[in-house]
Amino acid sequence: MQRPLAIAIMAFCCSALTAVSVSAGEPLSGAIDRLIADGADGPLAARSDDAEFLRRVTLDFVGHIPTADSVRAFLGDSSANKRSMLIDKLLAADTFAEQWANRLSVMMLERQDLGKVPDEDWLKYLHQSLQGAPRWNEMVRAMIAGSGKGEERPAMKFLGAGDQHRLTEDIGRLLLGMDLECARCHDHPSVDDWKQAHYWGLFAYVNQTKLSEPHAVDKQVYFVESLATEKVEFESVFVNGKEFTGPKLPDGEEVPIPKFEKGQEFERPAADGMPAVPKFRPRERLADDLTSKSNAYFVRNSVNRIWFLLMGRGLSHPLDQMHRENPPSHPALMDLLAEEFVAHEFDLKWLLREIASSESYQRSSRLPDGVKSVEPSSYRSALHRALTPEQLLHAILRASGNLAQVEAVKGNPAAGTQKFDQRGYFTGTNKDLPQSLDEIRAIFVQTFAQPAGVAEVDFSPGLNKSLFLMNDRLILHWLEPHGGNLVSQLGKENAAEAIAENLYLSVLSRFPDEAEQLEVAGYLQANTARRDAALGDLVWALLCSTEFRLNH
Amino acid sequence: MMDPNQYCQPHEHAMSRRKMLGVIGGTAGFGSLLQPAVAEAIAKKEKQVCLIWLDGGMSQYESWHPLPDSQFAGPFRSIKTSVPGIHFSELMPHTAKIAHKISVIRTMATQDPNHSTGVPRMQRGDPLNRGVDYPYLGSAIAKLLGPADPALPPYIWIKPGNGGFIHHEAGFLGAKYGALALGDGRAPIHIHRPASISADADAARQALREKANERFTAYRGAAEIDAYETSYDMAQQLMARKDIFDDSGLAPRDRERYGQHPLGRHILRARGLLEAGVRFVKVSSHHWDTHGDNFNMSQRLVPQIDQPFAALVDDLDERGMLDDVLVIVMSEFGRSPVINSRLGRDHWPDCWSLALAGCGIKRGAVIGNTTADGAFVDDEGYDIGDLFHTIFTVLGINPRRAKYRHKGQKLAIANDECRAIKELML
Repeated sequence: MQRPLAIAIMAFCCSALTAVSVSAGEPLSGAIDRLIADGADGPLAARSDDAEFLRRVTLDFVGHIPTADSVRAFLGDSSANKRSMLIDKLLAADTFAEQWANRLSVMMLERQDLGKVPDEDWLKYLHQSLQGAPRWNEMVRAMIAGSGKGEERPAMKFLGAGDQHRLTEDIGRLLLGMDLECARCHDHPSVDDWKQAHYWGLFAYVNQTKLSEPHAVDKQVYFVESLATEKVEFESVFVNGKEFTGPKLPDGEEVPIPKFEKGQEFERPAADGMPAVPKFRPRERLADDLTSKSNAYFVRNSVNRIWFLLMGRGLSHPLDQMHRENPPSHPALMDLLAEEFVAHEFDLKWLLREIASSESYQRSSRLPDGVKSVEPSSYRSALHRALTPEQLLHAILRASGNLAQVEAVKGNPAAGTQKFDQRGYFTGTNKDLPQSLDEIRAIFVQTFAQPAGVAEVDFSPGLNKSLFLMNDRLILHWLEPHGGNLVSQLGKENAAEAIAENLYLSVLSRFPDEAEQLEVAGYLQANTARRDAALGDLVWALLCSTEFRLNH
Repeated sequence: MMDPNQYCQPHEHAMSRRKMLGVIGGTAGFGSLLQPAVAEAIAKKEKQVCLIWLDGGMSQYESWHPLPDSQFAGPFRSIKTSVPGIHFSELMPHTAKIAHKISVIRTMATQDPNHSTGVPRMQRGDPLNRGVDYPYLGSAIAKLLGPADPALPPYIWIKPGNGGFIHHEAGFLGAKYGALALGDGRAPIHIHRPASISADADAARQALREKANERFTAYRGAAEIDAYETSYDMAQQLMARKDIFDDSGLAPRDRERYGQHPLGRHILRARGLLEAGVRFVKVSSHHWDTHGDNFNMSQRLVPQIDQPFAALVDDLDERGMLDDVLVIVMSEFGRSPVINSRLGRDHWPDCWSLALAGCGIKRGAVIGNTTADGAFVDDEGYDIGDLFHTIFTVLGINPRRAKYRHKGQKLAIANDECRAIKELML
């Protein structure tokens, strides 16, 4: 029953590989544009203007909005290759590693507090991996193979606390693009491609894995594998009859479970309170098999998710629904990205650079002239994407000119060593303001992030988020003049024109148009008796505007 | 593509009821029976729910099912109620007077003796395992019926301790069906506009924001951007109604009637929310886990539910709301017949009691035969799935036909192997 399916999927995955490839000398970015244009069902939006591009690429690569000065500088730069120079500069920045550590962490863990590795260690590990020339297959390999020894330890965070079913589901969803949750108990009811055997084949790779008891000497727990002797047994809740599988990737060969002579099963005997180490370790095998170039599911899922992170929508979308009944919007482009990513040894920054260099990425989010709406899957105009909670926080701090003040705080001097009472802050019993970036970030994550365990793909602008932006004491505090923040700077200006320009460059990373100039002048004139408050209103309105809350 | 209709039609049940009334009103034969104005009035009456959750497990012997002559009796007497032949514990004098307005099940027989698993299991209705996290009742109703008043969140939970936006009860339905939780009855702090901003200044800054959004939307697809504008509208609507979270207007007489303890205050608060049009209100209370000193604790605790529950049922009845508001008082299980060495009662899912009132539930019924000592069900017991079938049915939701859709899979809203309890329903 399994073979024909596997062959069918193989055929599906590789359908167009021979038909499409990069023409000689054509960069991948050019091929992207050609294939997006080929699939377009109407006119394409214009190229983004420099301000729009600068804000977008800065948010995407380093998670910040540009400063007013850098907007002026970029707009004033007349060199022809300034966009590609900017992309290179951002990719090399340390803030790139920081931002992508956050994005990849949220993608892989979905903000769940998993396992024994502290968040700081895990983020530091990702950060280090993302400096230089990170290779995505090697990063994933480390996350799956890690037993937790020495330098490997932070990467084992992805394995969580050893819940084998969670791991099976997460590997399917996050690394293969297959949401196999339903297939645990029966073949998927609405996706013909997904069988119960897929779930249990993955499960058989991790079902020997568990967290050890604390080590006799260092008291740490490690991931250990027990001896695999039998295939995994499963049975559909709808169909009688037991089935069996060894470790097996959706499209791969079943890995035979080796039989050893009695006494020959182990590579190392039990020691220091750690169990014996079997010669056959299916999870380590998974780390290799899953991330191999020949695993089309992994490769395609990888490029689809990286594409999503820059373009706002996967070529296959939803991201965890990659199967024949939900083909990619641009099948040839999916094939090409997969092929080229493999050819470039999973070089993450190379792929990011190529996508960001394309006209498709650099298109305006304004609709083409005369067009009322476009299909998101056509990429005819740039998609609007909600800022992540971390991006939003950083953007608000930078736009309102409070970033330096907050970054200067180490801990909360008012509270001493006491932990900031976050619950009390939300219920009103804690009248203090959070001071340090960590405290403030936690409040933003609680307000703006999806609940732990939910993928941050779709975003809804909820009631509580708007209430927070309207009435939060900290936000309002940042809009009072102090410490050289934006409102205090604006307060020192006299000319409404200069105020409007500084306001728009600082908050929306662009110059105001004439109507916006007039609006600022008019508002200040109508509120001369409460000038500082009026300046705060102007900043607030832009911080809360849809233009600010979106990466557009 | 993934099925865009991820769930069973959001408000199809409320809609279909309205449609049905429209049809009946306009059809010859029935038309004369139901005047259009009457039909409209009925259609406007949205079904609502108040779930009072006594966390830890209230003792049925000290409340709904006193058996003073049995070997497992405690020190309390039983008293007559307003329904001849039905007795409650003497700890429930107020509820005894309204027994003719409520129903009691004395043979709940459920599956779980543990708090940590029993609480979610009971509040999810113990559906058959489909490998997904089912929603708790409040989230389920928020999903199946939507908000009764579009300006108000469909599910509000009044709880001890802290509040906020609590998502986990929504299970696979997704965060937006979670609860707006009022910690100790208070709204989250962000519903209040700080004193530093006057109403005029707030209006002025909102106008600036709206104009900025109009300019931004002008050259872009509006639908997705509208969602942001809508979220501010909703925030402002809720702020405008924040009087429903405000205690200051409550009559001292009401405070007296409901009791000056947290559960009394919270049930009074629930009444206000139901009157305001909130679809589902949960009130929860802790400390019912009386493993030690059960009798002194019951003497202190049971009056705290007796008084406000009776007051709520009376008030809803007086306001003409009881036919459309379902009130449920329950725990995750009852307490053991055997009194342990610390004069406590332990967990007992095998045979316990709960009460319901309103919204198509019979008035003055007590159902279920137990053994003479109350320890076990005598003939037929009811599982939590049966209760969920009953709840859905009286709310106008067909528990056999309505389905959730999750990842392309149709999921029953209640345990397929259970059934509505006919003996309870009008």
